[in-house]
Amino acid sequence: MSMKIDLGRVYGPSEDVVVREIEGEIVIVPLVSGIGDLEDELFTLNETGRAIWSRIDGRRPLAAVVRELAGEYNAPDGIIQEDVVGLLQELLDRRMIVDRG
Amino acid sequence: MPREFVVRRPLPEFGLWDKMSAGRAVFSFDLEATARCNLDCRHCYINLPAGDRAARKSELTIDEIGRVGGEAAALGAVWCLITGGEPLLRKDFFDVYRALLGKGLLISLFTNATLVTDEHVRFFRKFPPRDIEVTVYGVTRETYERVTRTRGSFDAFQRGLDRLLASGVTIRLKAMALRSNKHEIAAIGEFCRARTRDYYRFDPQLHLRFDRDEARNAAIRAERLSDREVARLERADPHRFGALKAACGDLLPAEASTPAGAPDCRHIFRCGVGQRSFVVGPEGLLRPCLSLHHPEFLYDLRKGGLADAWKRFLPQVLARTSDRPEYLEKCGKCPLVNLCLWCPAHAYLETGELDSPVSSFCRIAEARAEGLKSH
Repeated sequence: MSMKIDLGRVYGPSEDVVVREIEGEIVIVPLVSGIGDLEDELFTLNETGRAIWSRIDGRRPLAAVVRELAGEYNAPDGIIQEDVVGLLQELLDRRMIVDRG
Repeated sequence: MPREFVVRRPLPEFGLWDKMSAGRAVFSFDLEATARCNLDCRHCYINLPAGDRAARKSELTIDEIGRVGGEAAALGAVWCLITGGEPLLRKDFFDVYRALLGKGLLISLFTNATLVTDEHVRFFRKFPPRDIEVTVYGVTRETYERVTRTRGSFDAFQRGLDRLLASGVTIRLKAMALRSNKHEIAAIGEFCRARTRDYYRFDPQLHLRFDRDEARNAAIRAERLSDREVARLERADPHRFGALKAACGDLLPAEASTPAGAPDCRHIFRCGVGQRSFVVGPEGLLRPCLSLHHPEFLYDLRKGGLADAWKRFLPQVLARTSDRPEYLEKCGKCPLVNLCLWCPAHAYLETGELDSPVSSFCRIAEARAEGLKSH
């Protein structure tokens, strides 16, 4: 069963991936087996994903990230939270981020 | 808002290709991790003895490789090919690999497979390369070891290849076609196709030595197949011949001997070299492509940075033009240029000049053209 995202916890990039910006795109390169089919596929983030990813630094709780994004985009916390949790759940399920406590 | 935040795309469909293809940009680079090899193939253009201490001491360190990898990634490189010599000969091979992988580069590896152990297999399973290419010199002990001149190498190759094939990593097989294994090329093709899921290719072009060792160059020349033999081998391989025909068939003029519309061009580099990739030799000398060893085209990455090499040095040296009438009249206007092995790098290896025509290349191009026209 997959772990659920908790807004009170801190998340950061996994050491099993390298995240690069190439020509304006965020590209997630898996280093270890089991994350993606290395021969044929790479991962990138959509626009929303990129805005959220840039704040996933492994230092502050997710709730603080939600508040910051809500302020910056002048959007209700609830809508931002839905996107943040959606992205992080996807990244956690793919082992691209880890729970840092 | 879309619910799929992480977009998983096949490499060929990746958006960054379009952006990068708009201009000159680094896609990939080759790292010759060592020039040393445990085999002593008759046709090899680079190999030094496995125990060559001077060569080993001069090889790039892990820190230096990490720096080059990081600078390449910063310029946008996506792939790195680790080649040699035999890369697995380096005792720190795993560190070399991790130093490049850790920069977010997709790794391909060329190896002869003879040194592959269970430890390598465990490593490749954990940190999968994009692919591993293994050269098959023969499918019998006699032929394989006639090419490699190394006793016991055939058994070691079989053991190593079996390990790699069982590992689940993508393995691609290829061959060199030379006098010593010509009689087995068809069997080598069958062997390779039975074991790999996609392409197999063979190369009949034997480069001369980068170090210009005349004794070894004589041995390489003796291993070269004739123009007719090359054309015949290519015709006998439906996959290769089909690809050649698809790529070049429509470009042929009505009469192969009649120049037809090839651009009258003084630039000698017309192959796209230095537009997408570069090569780093064992001692950190960057060059535009694998075969180009002319001293004016080498940039020492131990003395300067990759960004300077890529942005300033390469465009400057690759703008080279020729005033040699022989070149301008022959290669500069040749309608068979797409079928020819000629390029400044190969011309330099063959003649010591970057812009000299090479008559043996002309003959191969003409034999290929003849074959294409008759089918």
